[in-house]
Amino acid sequence: MYEGPVQDLIDELGRMPGIGPKSAQRIAFHLLKIPTPDAMRLSEAITRAKERVQFCQRCFNFSEHELCLICSSASRQDGTLCVVEESRDVVAVEKTQEFRGRYHVLQGCLNPIEGIGPEQLRVSELLGRIDGEQITEVILSTNPNIEGEATAMYLARLLGPLGVMVTRLASGLPVGGDLEYADELTLGRALEHRRAVE
Amino acid sequence: MKAPTTSTYLCQYAFPESVSDDAAPAAASVVIELLSLVNFRNHTNSEILFAPGLSVVSGANGEGKTNLLEAIGYLSSLSSFRGASTDSMIGIDDEQAVVRAQLQVNGREQLIEAQLDRRGRNRVQVNRQPLKRARDLLGTLRVVVFAPDDLAIVKAGPGGRRELLDTVLGSVHRRHEGDRSDIDRVLKQRGAVLKQAGGSTSNEVQATLDVWDTKLAEVGERHVSAREALVAEVSPIVEQLYRSLAGDDAAVTMKYRRSWEGSLLDALTQSRHADLRRRVTLVGPHRDDLEMSINGLPARTHGSQGEQRTLALSLRLASQRVIARRVGCEPVVLLDDVFSELDEQRASALVRELPAVQTILTTATGSVPAGAKPSASYVVVGGQIREQHG
Repeated sequence: MYEGPVQDLIDELGRMPGIGPKSAQRIAFHLLKIPTPDAMRLSEAITRAKERVQFCQRCFNFSEHELCLICSSASRQDGTLCVVEESRDVVAVEKTQEFRGRYHVLQGCLNPIEGIGPEQLRVSELLGRIDGEQITEVILSTNPNIEGEATAMYLARLLGPLGVMVTRLASGLPVGGDLEYADELTLGRALEHRRAVE
Repeated sequence: MKAPTTSTYLCQYAFPESVSDDAAPAAASVVIELLSLVNFRNHTNSEILFAPGLSVVSGANGEGKTNLLEAIGYLSSLSSFRGASTDSMIGIDDEQAVVRAQLQVNGREQLIEAQLDRRGRNRVQVNRQPLKRARDLLGTLRVVVFAPDDLAIVKAGPGGRRELLDTVLGSVHRRHEGDRSDIDRVLKQRGAVLKQAGGSTSNEVQATLDVWDTKLAEVGERHVSAREALVAEVSPIVEQLYRSLAGDDAAVTMKYRRSWEGSLLDALTQSRHADLRRRVTLVGPHRDDLEMSINGLPARTHGSQGEQRTLALSLRLASQRVIARRVGCEPVVLLDDVFSELDEQRASALVRELPAVQTILTTATGSVPAGAKPSASYVVVGGQIREQHG
């Protein structure tokens, strides 16, 4: 539709998650319009990130070094692993400031439709860490959807025989919210998993 | 006609303050007072003021009668009862369509609006407040649609019968809707594993299938129990309605037949070998059937066309009653060209059995069955609606 390089740019942007054809076109035209140094800064940021950032050899989170900051930190508690699907989930859990243990990033969840089975995930690496790091509890923090639940169940079955405590994130009501605004399914789940007040 | 491209379009529209009669209904009910369509199929800009009782919409074939009912159905279920895609409901030259209805819910005015978008997400507003999830609209307006295709519920394969049960369950409780989509999702994932395995029975494949089986068994058992409870509730009502519509004392029986015995998890385990070979899931809620017979003979294979049609009508009427009973609010009845297929006796029996709720009826012939007392009549020509007086 457009001249070669312009269309190439639109096509590449359109491959990004959450960017549709219209947004891709808008961003491309924006990039062509801005001063060259501004565009180069973006291009360099991408190049630098791709060159320097790798996966942490232990937890498979993004890292600038062989081990990420969390894995190499001495102030984190050993023995507890929080298993998440993606690096962005590490950020989400970290924001709570409630978890002082370490992470393991699966890099996805079981999703046969997309061709993702256990071999495509960092499952064997997780199993290897249980003995190696004397893990006592694994918190399965995959998403509360069909695929996330299936992944959690799959891992729980592998981890069970290893003698480690396996827990799953609770699901229920958002804090600070109103009951009336909760959707029926979430509220129903919260009712189902209610607990005694001490 | 092109709709303005921004969503602010939804907000600019002002409905008349009140179009209701003074007489508020005694029982819990929902009444559609005003329906407005913009770029919805052949309705570029239509507005129709409905009566609380029976509204009759006439017009030749292809003028847009069914489209009206489809739009109302869309506000109810966010899908087309004809199984059409969102795209096909938007005017051919348009990017967006808007369906808007002014409702009276237990005497209170409520404005619901849905914007269908060819490219982006479909948006929904209630009283001009956008809903975060379009699905939150479900349950606001409940309808039961009678269509000529209903014959297929009795005559065709089990899919339509499961669909009927699931539609009723879905409009009764969101949990059933959630379970149903979970089942679909798990079946797709399980199917993908079966295909990728290519007949292999490695530990890897077995372990993955174990997980999907557990999930399918959990949700499947729950959903099938709900279907069975519904059949138990609906069955005596269908039997009584069938006799009334047919005008004889035929005995209708309904039986939900599971595609497995014992626990679903065990059945899936037993079926696994065959599943892997055939690369499909052979047992589960998606293989069940609702068997119906008239005087002991299977309605699907042995019923006459008239008997099958009468049974289909009885099923729809019974669905309406069960939804009303379970949620405490009468669904609106939409009759899409149903009377043209019925003889005089059955037509007037249907009129007699229809609940005393708002009913919108389309007819190509313009004739109304004996006993029906329309509160208002309309003619649709080329996507334009006119009220008929006298």
